[in-house]
Amino acid sequence: MTLRLEAVSRLYQQGDQMIRALDDVNLELGEGEFVALAGPSGSGKTTLLNIAGGLDRPTQGMVWVDNQELTRMSRSRLAQLRLEEIGFVFQGHNLVPVLTAEENTEFILLLRGVPPGERRANVRAILKEVGLEGMENRKPAELSGGQQQRVAVARAIAAEPHLVLADEPTANLDSETAFALLDLMEKLNREHRTTFLFSTHDPRVMKRARRIIQLVDGRIEKDSPVVGAVLE
Amino acid sequence: MILRIAWRNLWRRTRRTLLTVSTVSLGLALLLISLGLGDGSHRQMIDSAVRMGVGHLVIQQTGYQEGAEIDRTLAPSQVIDAESWIEKQRSRFPIRDRLRRVFASGLASSADGSTGAQIIGIQPEGEMRASLFDEKLIQGRFLHKEGADQVVLGEGIARKLKLELGEKMVLMAQAAYTSEIQSKLVRVTGIIRTGLEQFDQMLVLMHLDTAQEFLGLGTSVHQVAIFLEDELLSEPLATVGKKELPELEVLHWGEALPELRDYIRVDDGGNYVFHVFIFLLIAFTVMNTLLMSVLERSREFALLDALGLAPGKRFAMVLVEGTLVALLSALAGGLLGYSGHLYLHVHGLPIDAFYSGDISAAGVTLDPVLYSDLSFNRIAGSVSLVMILTLLLALLPALRAARAGNVHLLGNV
Ligand SMILES: Nc1ncnc2c1ncn2[C@@H]1O[C@H](COP(=O)(O)OP(=O)(O)OP(=O)(O)O)[C@@H](O)[C@H]1O
Ligand SMILES: [Mg+2]
Repeated sequence: MTLRLEAVSRLYQQGDQMIRALDDVNLELGEGEFVALAGPSGSGKTTLLNIAGGLDRPTQGMVWVDNQELTRMSRSRLAQLRLEEIGFVFQGHNLVPVLTAEENTEFILLLRGVPPGERRANVRAILKEVGLEGMENRKPAELSGGQQQRVAVARAIAAEPHLVLADEPTANLDSETAFALLDLMEKLNREHRTTFLFSTHDPRVMKRARRIIQLVDGRIEKDSPVVGAVLE
Repeated sequence: MILRIAWRNLWRRTRRTLLTVSTVSLGLALLLISLGLGDGSHRQMIDSAVRMGVGHLVIQQTGYQEGAEIDRTLAPSQVIDAESWIEKQRSRFPIRDRLRRVFASGLASSADGSTGAQIIGIQPEGEMRASLFDEKLIQGRFLHKEGADQVVLGEGIARKLKLELGEKMVLMAQAAYTSEIQSKLVRVTGIIRTGLEQFDQMLVLMHLDTAQEFLGLGTSVHQVAIFLEDELLSEPLATVGKKELPELEVLHWGEALPELRDYIRVDDGGNYVFHVFIFLLIAFTVMNTLLMSVLERSREFALLDALGLAPGKRFAMVLVEGTLVALLSALAGGLLGYSGHLYLHVHGLPIDAFYSGDISAAGVTLDPVLYSDLSFNRIAGSVSLVMILTLLLALLPALRAARAGNVHLLGNV
């Protein structure tokens, strides 16, 4: 799945001041890319990911996912598109509080109407891979921040979306778990040609990407392939 | 899935949900009990009015209702027609009794004075079965076959004339079809208290045959009263009667006692206001709870939106939450109200704890104990009204849930 942002700007009104969270961003991701979004705090990473997933609308510019233009879609259509094509990991651990780890993970599959047997097996396997075996029946409140984060990632990829937008997926995680998560993401990327765009502050995580986009003050300052990245 | 989330959402705020459910179910229970008591008291009033004199239906000479003149009788042939018509209806209606009656106003005198009298000639055996007269006897015995000179007096008239059991009095009245005044010496065998003071101050009951002879009626009567097993069939039977006995006056109790019917209407109106108030209370509670719960979950709805739960489904989710609240409340309130009704149906509510003396309204005595009477329709009606109301009120919160989806609420923690 491809993603294209064309001259996207996002302005916020803050009192009588205008904040340019994104400033004329042009970006194109091909199918199967594995891209890190880097930049200091406040540089617009979250804003960009939200706009790319149709959660937020740009003040100017257009957003294309494959050949669908998002900025003019109705909210129902956008929800449908997310349900079918896009996996999200949010910066906060945004889990549905009343559902268990397992139910949170299978949420999208459930909404898509995947039969229970298939769903269960799939979800259990993924939770195992992110190291949450045995915690399937805990509610978010009974999990640590890092564990919640892993459930959020598991949820995003369990449905095998074509595009994963992840906001700081490895924040709050120790390196071991962080790498396990990255392994999982890479595997999905390799096997299903899932396109990944994830923001991060972590240099170790950046190194695993094959392309790094550097944001500063809402502008793309640098967009380069990672030197020495392992290319298949 | 939506159902599961909705159900769990309810129990996140156990206390609030319980509070809402109990408010709504208490409201519903109150409603049912009030309906039950209202219907019950009306039924009792109708019942006692009917048994205290009128009957569920009466057949009279045309115009007797307007002007109860002594000459306006049912001729013997008409009595026979009317009675054979009643017999014919037995196959379709649960008819308990039919009774002939004559009425006359006159003057009653004793050694201590005289006063106006309402003379009613009745068939004692039948009245004892069908009506309440004999049950209201406080002294002596009721009329019986032998002894043409017996009368049963209302308590008031007996007191006024200072008459004791066994004492004699003179009755005077205008005979039918002539303008002659007749008089007759009678003996007091019993005294009754119907509870209707004005009535008791004039009531003189005597045997039908005695009255017919005294008033020169022959075998004519003023009224044939019909008693049914079920009050609700009064109107249908009257409708048939009006069609099949066009030359006579066939009235059901509501027509024969317009004051009572109007009283019940007014009373129902008052209850109606009370019920509307309960409904508003329920409405406000449900709406408030749902709206609050939706507003405090904005962040969560934004998340559900981000995960691809379409607006329509979020709308449905809140509606389902509302429905669950409604179902729970309907169940709890229905059970509570129904048990309340059952208790009051069996044990009754003693209203004489609040009033002293006889209680009467619209010319009818009320039983000192009020029994609840609740039809299935009433229950089904109230329960479904509460359900529908709850659903309607869930619409606004549901709409908000559908609109919610501001990604900024997901925030950077
Ligand atoms: N809802 C909002 N209203 C006003 N300004 C906002 C809003 N959301 C973001 N901003 C501003 O837009 C800019 C970009 O914010 P954004 O959240 O995209 O940064 P970020 O790169 O994700 O930062 P971090 O690394 O801290 O998560 C910031 O200056 C921020 O203050
Ligand atoms: Mg951010």
